[in-house]
Amino acid sequence: MSDSSELDAYFGPKRDERPLGIVLDGSLSAGLQVKLDPRYAIEKLAVGRYVVIQSRITGSTFFGIITDIALGATTPDLLHHPPDAADTFLLDVYSGGVAYATLHVSPMLMLDEEDDQPRPIKTIPSHFSAIYEATAQDVARVFGEEDDEHFYIGTPLDMEDVQVNLDLARFVERSSGVFGKTGTGKSFVTRTILAGIIRSGLASTLIFDMHNDYGWSIKDESGREYKGLRQLFPDGRVSVITLDEATSRARGSKFDGTLTIGYEEIEPEDIELLASLLGLSDIQTGALYFLYRRLGKKWISKLLDEQYEEEIQNILESGRIVGGTLGAIQRKLESFIPRMGFLVPGEGSKVVDDIFQRLNIGTSVVLEFGNYGNTLAAYVLVANYLTRRIHASYVHRKNLAAGKKGEEPRPLVIVIEEAHKFLDPSVAGHTIFGNIARELRKYNVTLLIVDQRPSGIEDEVMSQIGTRVTCLLDNEADIRAVFSGVSGASALREVLARLDTRQQALILGHAVPMPVVVRTRDYDQRFYAAMGMDETNDSAGQKPSGEDKLFPD
Amino acid sequence: MPESPKMIGRVTRCSTRGFVGAMQISENALPVFGSLCQAEAQGGRSYVVGLVYDISITDDQFARQLAALDEVPQEQIADGQLNRQVPVEFSALAVGFHDDDGFHQSLPPQPPLTLASVFSMVPNDAVDFTSELHFLQMILNAPQLPVDELLATSLRLSAQARPEEERERFLLQAGREVARLLAQDLTRLENILRGLRAKE
Repeated sequence: MSDSSELDAYFGPKRDERPLGIVLDGSLSAGLQVKLDPRYAIEKLAVGRYVVIQSRITGSTFFGIITDIALGATTPDLLHHPPDAADTFLLDVYSGGVAYATLHVSPMLMLDEEDDQPRPIKTIPSHFSAIYEATAQDVARVFGEEDDEHFYIGTPLDMEDVQVNLDLARFVERSSGVFGKTGTGKSFVTRTILAGIIRSGLASTLIFDMHNDYGWSIKDESGREYKGLRQLFPDGRVSVITLDEATSRARGSKFDGTLTIGYEEIEPEDIELLASLLGLSDIQTGALYFLYRRLGKKWISKLLDEQYEEEIQNILESGRIVGGTLGAIQRKLESFIPRMGFLVPGEGSKVVDDIFQRLNIGTSVVLEFGNYGNTLAAYVLVANYLTRRIHASYVHRKNLAAGKKGEEPRPLVIVIEEAHKFLDPSVAGHTIFGNIARELRKYNVTLLIVDQRPSGIEDEVMSQIGTRVTCLLDNEADIRAVFSGVSGASALREVLARLDTRQQALILGHAVPMPVVVRTRDYDQRFYAAMGMDETNDSAGQKPSGEDKLFPD
Repeated sequence: MPESPKMIGRVTRCSTRGFVGAMQISENALPVFGSLCQAEAQGGRSYVVGLVYDISITDDQFARQLAALDEVPQEQIADGQLNRQVPVEFSALAVGFHDDDGFHQSLPPQPPLTLASVFSMVPNDAVDFTSELHFLQMILNAPQLPVDELLATSLRLSAQARPEEERERFLLQAGREVARLLAQDLTRLENILRGLRAKE
């Protein structure tokens, strides 16, 4: 006969005999109401904790998450006539009986022994089914093992030995989002996920690195330094292209090229997205297309350079555009374009083809903005400019592949920050980013949007976001936006609003079997090693100490 | 050595819901309000468990005449209290029974018969019987009895039958059960709970 340790090894340790409580009420859509056993201290439970519900009738096991905790009383009189606080006997008698605690549990999955994989629930456990705290084995069964396609992103709260693994194949299959207030660790989470994607080779990534957070070393608020993606993957899997050589050099970044965009390469569509940032009215925006048609490829130069005044005058005399409109366009472009050093007269560095080639052989590209990251219009212009062209190349390549005249383009994830500037309801309908978010994986291009104001993103786009990684949000509209298009997730609102300000995130959607609150893994030396980085050959990067953690205690 | 049950009377009236016992006994041997007792039933095969809710002493002609005197000699008082012509009566509510399977907290299948012996319940049996608290509902359901006092006193006595270190836990457990039963009547509940603690 096997002893208990052998049985434990096979089945996992025996579940605590004492249930947390019993199911009293609920529905599939609204979740379950559970009365807490009075022997448990309510303070020791927390929203986001996992529970297992054992059906009293069939023995089926349901896996769920605590989404709310409440106090109740059997009679409203107790609220009007509470017991004397000094009478501990009365307080003890009332606690757990007349005055009790309830848990709201959202059941998510069924864990039946005969099934290999957890199944989405289609029913709920019967009345008085017992509910237990989930064991590490239960949680591990839900989130599976780490492998080439499953990336360890963090640990569930209070379960440091259990890994939550993100299904990267599903993550890159649809557009995804990383949301959270400023200072909640969005960039660290994003960098961690991007490292996982790059290591897996499942997709190339094009990162519009507004604040120089991804390519080379990064310092946190306390001045500690962490490695960028190019340092993590020194074997050429990551290229850094800069828009601001001087700043990149000053920061000690290694970069593989410099991007310049020629005036002649700019099209009205590239400027249109800047309308609100430059203060262009609808009429002025419409006039851009007319000017481009009349002035040709050199339209920007002709609008900015006085030597073409005669040609401009001819346009005015044609009566197709009024002087006020033209003058406003010129003033607004003059206030922006000449200040951007990466915008050059004539033709630029022709780097689009180079970037496309890099992406197509599996190299990820970090586009470092240097000081231009402080100018939102520069960021929007470059992201829009490159994405439109690269997306067009992907569409072309995909069409060739459909006609069996070429190979499928390699899946691409485009990372944009301040995404609400590209995807707000007034522009999302006709920008390339809105199109990419809506067309899903049709052309093998998806977005990873990083934003602190998800409420600013168009609803339709948000509803297409497959996986949402959300750090702390406390604005009601933002919280609502994160859950838009996610069925049954409203119960998680309380969980989201109560995340810690650092290193905690709620992940829900396509890449995880159920919503999960994680303490994201430390971005430290162990992480570097897990990404395959050999510290001894790392001459370029800073060497963090063994104690270095992303968020020190 | 375990305490043996003391005979406290014989059944004079009875039904399945309770019985009345009587005996000519000393003041010290009188049963206590709220205490548990057992009366033989079914030819000794079972005992009906009763909860004493009333103790009465009715008058007689001689006692009435003596009460009218200015001074009653001590011998007469002692004679009246010890050698009474009319016995002390106590009423007990049936809250369970004991048979070969142990204690049961429900009405007995048959009442004790007239003149069946009634015994006080020894502490060990009282602890055993009150390890379950379903009988509380039977007390609460009893009509025209001082239910709240009876409930509090019987639980207090049951606590005293336990070792000191277990009393607090028992009272808490009993209090929670009473609270469960009387959750909708907070004023009454609070009075009973105060009664549980009152004379501990």
